[in-house]
Amino acid sequence: MTGSMLKIEGLSKRFGGLTAVDNLSLDFAEGKLHAVIGPNGAGKTTLFNLITGLLKSDSGRVLFRDHDITGLKPHQISRLGIKRTMQIKSVFNQLTVSENLSITRQSAQRFLHPLRPASRDRQTRERVDEVLEQMDMTRLAGQIAGTLSYGDIAMLEIGMAVISEPQLLRLDEPICGMSPAETERAVSKIRELARTIGIIIIEHDMEVVFGIADDITVLAQGALLTSGTPKEIADNEQVREAYLGRPEDESYVDEALHA
Amino acid sequence: MNRRSLVERGLIAVFAAFLLTVPWTIPLILNAFWVSVIAEILIWSLFAASANLLFGYVGLLSFGQALFFGFGMYGVGIGIDHFGLSFWPAFGLGIAAAMAMAFVSGILAVRLTWHYFAIITVVFSLIFYFIAVSAKSVTGGDDGINFALPPTFSFGAVQFGFADANFQYFFILASVSLCFFLMHLVVGSPLGKAFLAVRENDVRASLIGLNVYVIRLIAFVMAGFLAGVAGALFAFFGRYASASYMFYTFSGEAVVWAIVGGAGTLFGPIVGASLFIVIREVVSTHWEHHSLIVGVMAILVVILAPKGIVGLWRDWVDTPPPTGAELPVTTELRTEP
Repeated sequence: MTGSMLKIEGLSKRFGGLTAVDNLSLDFAEGKLHAVIGPNGAGKTTLFNLITGLLKSDSGRVLFRDHDITGLKPHQISRLGIKRTMQIKSVFNQLTVSENLSITRQSAQRFLHPLRPASRDRQTRERVDEVLEQMDMTRLAGQIAGTLSYGDIAMLEIGMAVISEPQLLRLDEPICGMSPAETERAVSKIRELARTIGIIIIEHDMEVVFGIADDITVLAQGALLTSGTPKEIADNEQVREAYLGRPEDESYVDEALHA
Repeated sequence: MNRRSLVERGLIAVFAAFLLTVPWTIPLILNAFWVSVIAEILIWSLFAASANLLFGYVGLLSFGQALFFGFGMYGVGIGIDHFGLSFWPAFGLGIAAAMAMAFVSGILAVRLTWHYFAIITVVFSLIFYFIAVSAKSVTGGDDGINFALPPTFSFGAVQFGFADANFQYFFILASVSLCFFLMHLVVGSPLGKAFLAVRENDVRASLIGLNVYVIRLIAFVMAGFLAGVAGALFAFFGRYASASYMFYTFSGEAVVWAIVGGAGTLFGPIVGASLFIVIREVVSTHWEHHSLIVGVMAILVVILAPKGIVGLWRDWVDTPPPTGAELPVTTELRTEP
């Protein structure tokens, strides 16, 4: 193993009386596809928001490749190559797909030229075409993002996250709300991306999680329940308990237990 | 290139030709008075463009642009009257004062968004309005400052200045055109695209690496520049500076012009300002409640055509003609040159 990519030390976040993340310490190793799972309210999205800088932690540290990123602003963290997608899909709705991508690409530059036409930037255009192709979205290039299907918006959001060659990609429920066909497409894309980029994924679809993750971290009530390979997690008694009595969850771990 | 941009290029060429011939054609068609009305429309268009840059491109609704217009005006007025500056230094002072004020107030204002931002811009406007009204020795209070205009260029004994009506018109036309050209460059640039990103989704904008605060501040200072130039030009045009143009209701007019014309479009403010000033000039001689028409039109546009008159026009042009099968442009990249 090549060591730690993202390390979390004693991270806590309280909202009033509710402790969303409770003195959490995690270590995500380099070069793996990590999944973070846990019942609703386990603190998964809060954890992502703390890593992104959208929320300020009450205590603890976040280290990205041994570089302390605790307390940095979202744009500073983004500029370190840590990109994410949102649980509630977040793109620039009134702009076209290719504008979404080109703006994202150009925004990663240190200096935003105020007078030169943005469209004259050949490198950006080529990179946009590349990502459009990679995401199978070339035919949607001119479409206004807000008019896309939910699955396509999710794919666009992933495209925006990868266009600036991220070091670490965090996907918050990327396939939530997708049709089976879209899910299949998204899963194969995520697999493909994982070959070159470190990925941490939050996902409720256990079939997907157990199908793609190298490593699974289970959270419950803001704390680490356990972590390990998919096989270890599937056999773990505690995990079964945490998910027990949640029939709406699609966990096959549950289903296996109830059968 | 699609059909719309071809049509619009044609219209812009016609419009430019019209503006360049105004001093000769308008006295023939109407009378010489309308030349100065058109000069005034140009200045107000620039002022509306300032509100439009913030609201239409960055998503900040400012009711404080009159403050920067006022600083542009007073920069010129005080520069000439108190400091005895000549034309260009006074022009520079007006613009610099407006931008400096925009920078200082922007540092505080752009931390906020939506109604909080709108309110703080009104508050800034009010504070400086009352300061300007009470500081009689500097600003002339309610009466404002009247001053004699120094020449713009002097080559030995030959002088060019606003005393010549044609020179005045063309100077204003050139200044306003230059500002609109700059704005055209900015909105098409990577910085302008970042403005749109911030307008559309500020959380996503920060996640793609944009410093939303700095981008809003840059836009705010740029808008201050546009309002400052407009204010300075208006001071030259009227040969006076007055606090009444710093009141926040005046900022509101700029916002209304921009929205009715089409917020987020370069030409919206020109269309809006032209429409309302022509209405004012035509109707006010017959009926004193001309602002009622403005109010009704603003309400109708907001309800029926949220993208303004320019948006309405674009939807109309973009609708393919019923017979036309000659428009395979829908998949073309809008960002291509």
